[in-house]
Amino acid sequence: MTATREINSIVMAAGLAASLVLGTTFAFAGDVTLTMAVPDWPPTRIMKKFFDEQYKPKSGNTVKLQVDFIPWPDFYTRVNASLTSGEKKYNFIVSDSQWLGAFVEGGYFRKINDLLNADPEFMKTFKDIHPNALNSYSTYPHKSENYYGFPQFPDVLVNFARKDIICHEAEQKNFMAKFNQKLPCTSEELDAMTWDDFKNVGEFFRRKKGEMLAGKPAEDDFYGIAFQAGKSYDFSSMQINGFIWQMGGDIWDETQAPTSKAEGVVNSPAAVKALEKYLSLIAYMPPLAKTGTMDIFKSDELFRQGKVAMSVNWIGLAEASLDPKTSRVSDNLVFGMMPGTKGADGKLVRWSNIGGQPFVLTTWTTDAQIKEAVEFVKWWLSSNIQHQFAAAGGQSAIKSVYSDPKYVTYRPWNRAWAPSLDWQKDVWHVPQFFELLTQQQDQYDLAITGRQDAKTTQDNIAKFQQRLLKEVGLIQ
Amino acid sequence: MTDRVSFWEWIGFRSVGGIAEAGWGRTLVVAVVSFIYFLPVLFIIFTAIKPQGLALSVPPTLSPTSFFGLIPDQFVFTPTLDNFASVFSRVMTAGGQPESTGFDRFFFNSIVIASASVLLALVIGTLAAYGFSRYPLKGNDTYLFVILTTRMLPAIVVIIPVILMFRAVGLSGSYLGIIMLYAAFNLAFTVWMMKSFFDELSTDVEDAARIDGSSEIKVFFKICLPQVVAGLAATFVFGLILTWNEFLFALLLTGPDTRTVPVAMNQAVSSGGRGTDWTLLAAIETLFLVPVFLATFFLQDHLLRGVTFGTVRK
Amino acid sequence: MQLMSTIRSAKTAPALLELSADNWRLAVLVGLVVSALAVVTLPASGSFWVVGAMSALVAAAFAVNAYRRRYYGGLLVAPAIAVLFVMNIFPLLWSLGLSFFAYQSNLQSIRFVGLNNYIKVLTDEVAAPGNWSALINTAMFAVCTVSAQMIVGFLLAMLFAKQFPLRKYLLILVLTPMMLSVVASGVFFTYYYDPTFGILSYVINSVAGGQFIVMDSKAGAVAGIVFADAWMWSPFVMLLVLAGLVSVPKYLYEAAAIDRVSAWRRFWSITFPYIRGLLMLALLFRTIEAFKLADLVIVLTKGGNDTMTISYHLIRIANEQNKTSEGAAISYIILFIVIVLTNLYLYVANPKNREA
Repeated sequence: MTATREINSIVMAAGLAASLVLGTTFAFAGDVTLTMAVPDWPPTRIMKKFFDEQYKPKSGNTVKLQVDFIPWPDFYTRVNASLTSGEKKYNFIVSDSQWLGAFVEGGYFRKINDLLNADPEFMKTFKDIHPNALNSYSTYPHKSENYYGFPQFPDVLVNFARKDIICHEAEQKNFMAKFNQKLPCTSEELDAMTWDDFKNVGEFFRRKKGEMLAGKPAEDDFYGIAFQAGKSYDFSSMQINGFIWQMGGDIWDETQAPTSKAEGVVNSPAAVKALEKYLSLIAYMPPLAKTGTMDIFKSDELFRQGKVAMSVNWIGLAEASLDPKTSRVSDNLVFGMMPGTKGADGKLVRWSNIGGQPFVLTTWTTDAQIKEAVEFVKWWLSSNIQHQFAAAGGQSAIKSVYSDPKYVTYRPWNRAWAPSLDWQKDVWHVPQFFELLTQQQDQYDLAITGRQDAKTTQDNIAKFQQRLLKEVGLIQ
Repeated sequence: MTDRVSFWEWIGFRSVGGIAEAGWGRTLVVAVVSFIYFLPVLFIIFTAIKPQGLALSVPPTLSPTSFFGLIPDQFVFTPTLDNFASVFSRVMTAGGQPESTGFDRFFFNSIVIASASVLLALVIGTLAAYGFSRYPLKGNDTYLFVILTTRMLPAIVVIIPVILMFRAVGLSGSYLGIIMLYAAFNLAFTVWMMKSFFDELSTDVEDAARIDGSSEIKVFFKICLPQVVAGLAATFVFGLILTWNEFLFALLLTGPDTRTVPVAMNQAVSSGGRGTDWTLLAAIETLFLVPVFLATFFLQDHLLRGVTFGTVRK
Repeated sequence: MQLMSTIRSAKTAPALLELSADNWRLAVLVGLVVSALAVVTLPASGSFWVVGAMSALVAAAFAVNAYRRRYYGGLLVAPAIAVLFVMNIFPLLWSLGLSFFAYQSNLQSIRFVGLNNYIKVLTDEVAAPGNWSALINTAMFAVCTVSAQMIVGFLLAMLFAKQFPLRKYLLILVLTPMMLSVVASGVFFTYYYDPTFGILSYVINSVAGGQFIVMDSKAGAVAGIVFADAWMWSPFVMLLVLAGLVSVPKYLYEAAAIDRVSAWRRFWSITFPYIRGLLMLALLFRTIEAFKLADLVIVLTKGGNDTMTISYHLIRIANEQNKTSEGAAISYIILFIVIVLTNLYLYVANPKNREA
C-alpha cells in the first residue's frame, strides 16, 4: 500500500511539474478545453456535431470540446496506453463497461457521487437512466452505489430480418408445411421467437446457389441465420452469455464476491446446455463461422450483402443496413427483439448481454474543467438533446426519453429498445476482466471451430476463473 | 547459326549465371511471372476505383475494362474516382454533410515523419559508419552487434518505457519524439550499410589528400562522401520502406495532430463502426503507396547495390 | 539551490582538479553528483532536464577531449550511440529491470520478485502452456515462412539476374508488395480467403463445386498466413540475392564457358560463393522478423486454429492485460533465442569459421 501511494504521489508531482514546465494547461479564467477520447463512429461524431452547433455554456465561459477520434480497432490499445502511462491527456473517455474495474482500481476514472449529490437536478436526470443501463455503465463494484459513467451510446442486441425473404408467400407455405408453424414475418412475430424457432429458420433457409429462394433462383449460396461467433475481443461471449442466462445458468457473479464461486457455476449443467444450444446454431450460419472469425462486423456484412435471412446484432451497426449505399437489403428490413427461451411458466426469458459505452471523467480533470464537464453532461442527457440524438440514429437510456411515443418512430428497431432494456445484464467489471475475457474467448473459439465439446469448454473456463480470481482474492 | 538455339535459350535462359544480355524472350517470361506476383496489389488498386456497392459482389468484379472482350462482362465494373475523394472528405453521420477526415494532415505527417527520421538516421549513421570504418574502436564488432540487437526485439517490449519517457519529457504526441524514435530504429541498418560502403573505398586517395595537408573534415566531405552517394540513396529508400508502414509506435506515440496514415487507415478498416469499407481502404492504400513506390523506382539501381551490406567485395 | 552550490563548489575547487574544457573526468564527476542530487531533490520532470544537461556537459567534454587528442572514432560514433542509448537501449534496460518485479501497469503497485516472472512464464501450469505453444508455433511459422521466402526470393532473383528490355519496370512490380501496409494487405487477404465473397473460394467452388473454406483448419490457416507473409517479403530476399548475382564478375563465366563446364557445376562453383553470404544475411534478417510475426496473425486468424505466435501472445499479455513485467520476461526470452540464432548464423556465415 505505501509503495502504491508513493508511486501515486511521484506520478502526480511529476504531472504537475510537467504541466508547469511545459505550460500545457493554460489557466485563463473563462476559457476551458475538455479533451475527449472517443471511438470514431456516428454516435460520437453526432455528439461532437451537436456540441459545436448547439452547446452554449451557462457559465458564460468559452468551452471547447477537443475530441480525439480513434478508429475502433485500436481504441482500447490507445486509451489503455494513454491511461497506464500516466499521460493524463484526456478529461473524458468513452469506455466499454467492462473496463470500469480495471481503470477505477488504477486511479484513472473519477467517482462522480460528489458531483451528483451536489446537484439535485443532475441526480434526477441520472436516476432516470434505466437501472440495468445504470448498473452496467456506471457502477463499480458492479451494482454498488459508486457511480462513474454516463451513457454515451447504450446498445442492445436485436434481431435483423429480411421481409422479402421471410414474408414471401411460397416460403411461408413451405415453412408451415415443414414445421407446422408460421414463419415469423412481422416485428411482433419476430419478438415472439425462441432460439428453437431461430434454428428452424436457419435450417429452412439453407439454399445452394441456383435453388429457389423467395420465388427466384438464388444468385449465391444462402443461409438462414447469423450471429457473432468470432474469437477476437468479446465477439462470442456477448452472445453466449445471453444463452447462459436465458437457460438458467450464470457466469461468475462478482456482486456476491468473495463468497461466490466460479467452479460449479460457470460449468453448471445449465450453462453447458446453453453453450451446446449456441453451438448447434453455428451449422446453419455462413461458412465463415467455421473459421472462428465471424465477428459482429462480418455477420453484419453478410447480412447487408444479402447472404442471410436473419441476423442478431447490435443496434449500433444497424444504421448501415438502412443505407442503400452500404446495404443491398435496405428496402426490406424488419426488426424484432433478440430471440428468447421459454421459461417454466411458458413466458419468454430474454436475458441478454448489454452493449454500448458509457463515458467517464478522469481523475486529473481540474475543478474548473469539472464544473464545465458537469454542465456538458447535463446538457447531453437533457431530454431535448437525447431526442435529437435518437432522431439522428443514437439511442437513449433515459426513461422519460425512450418512453415518449415519438421515440419508436425514429428508427424501425426502436420499438424493440424499451422492452429489451428490462432484460439486460452485464459481464464482470473487475480489474482482471481482460484476462477472464481472452481466456474465455479462446475456449469458446475452440468450441465454435469444433475442436472441443461444450462440457470441456465450460470446465476449462471455470477452472481458470476459479484459480485467477482466488489468486487476486475475489474468491475465497 | 539459328539451328543451335534451343527453346530454353530462345526464351532467355541462355546460361545459368549469364554473360550476355537476355532478349525479349526473357522479358516475356518475367513479365508473366511479375504480373502474377503483382496481382494482389493490382486488385487493391482496382478496388480503389470500384463503385462502393460492388466491393463484395459475387462473382467478384475484377477489372475496369474488358480488355477487348478478354474478360467476361460479369467481372467488369465501371471505374470511379469517388473513393479517392472520400479519403479526404466524406459523410460521417447519417444524413449529415461531408466532413474533412483529416487525411490531408495524416499524409503530410507521414511524409514529414518518415523522411525526417530517415534523413536524421542517415546523417548520424553515416558519421558513425565512417568512424567504425576508418577509426576502429576497441571492441568495434561488439558495438556493431549491439546496434544490430536493437532491431531484434519485438517493439511491444520497449513501448511502455518509451511512453513513460516521452510523457516525462513532453515528447508524446510531438513530431520530434516520433522522428527521434524512428531515427533510432533506422540507425541499425544505416550504420551497417554505410560502413560496408566506406569499407569498399580505397584509402589511397584519402591518404594522399592527408599528406597534402587536407583536414579530416575536408577528407570526409570532399573525398569520401561523394563516392558513397549510391549507398546514401539505397539507405534512404530502404529506411523509407521500413519506416513508412510502421504502426505500433505511431499508434501509441502520436496525437491527433501528428497521426500518420497507417494508424488513420483503420478509419476504413472499421468505417463508422461497421466493419471494413473496402473501396475506401483500397483508395487510402493506393494513395499511400505512391510516394514510396516512386522513391523506390527512381532509386532502384542504388537500392540493388546498397543492400549487399558489404558482403560482396570487389 | 543545491544544484547551484554544487556547481559553485566545483568551480571553486581548482586545486582538486584542473578546470579545462577537455577535462572529461571532472565533467563526469560533476555530472554524477549534480544528477544524483537532482534525482533525489527534484521531481521527475525537473531532474530529467538536469540529468540531460549534465549528460550534454559530459558529452561536450568528451567531444573536446576526443577532438584535441584525435580520437576521431569515438567522436564520430558518439551521436549514433547516444541516440540509440536514449531511444532503444535505455528502454530495453528499463524493461529488463521491470522483468524482475511484479508490476501491472494499470494497478501502479510494484514489488521485487527476482526471477519469479521467468519461472512463471516457463513453468506455471496455467500461464506456461500458452507461452510454450505460442513459441512452438512461432518456430513453425519461422521455418515455413522463411524457407518459402528464401525459395521464392531466390527464384525471382534468378529471373531478374540478367539485363533484358523493360527489366527496371518489371522489377518494381515485384518489389511493390513489401511497400504495402501490413494492415491493409492483411485485411485484403481476409477478403481473398473469405469463403463467401473471396476470390479463392469463388474460383475453387466454380471449378470443383462444393464449398471451399481455406481458414477452417490449422493447415489451411498456417498456409494462408505463410502465403501472405512470404508474398510480402520474398522481394526482400530477392533484392539481396540479386545484388549478389549481378556482382559476379563476367570473366569467370567466360572462362567457364571456354572450359565447357556444366551449368550445374558453374552455378555451384562460380555463382554460389558470391551469393552465399547474402543468402545467410537474408536468412538472418527474415528470421529475426519471423519472430516478430503478429500483425498478419491478428488480422487473419486472431490466433485461432492454433496459430497463436509468441509476438501476438506478448501483445495480449503486455498490452491488453497490462501484465507489463510478465511481458518483459517473455520478451527477454525471445531476445535470448534470437541472439543465439543470430550468433549461430554469423558463425556459420563467417568463412574463417567454416574453414577452420
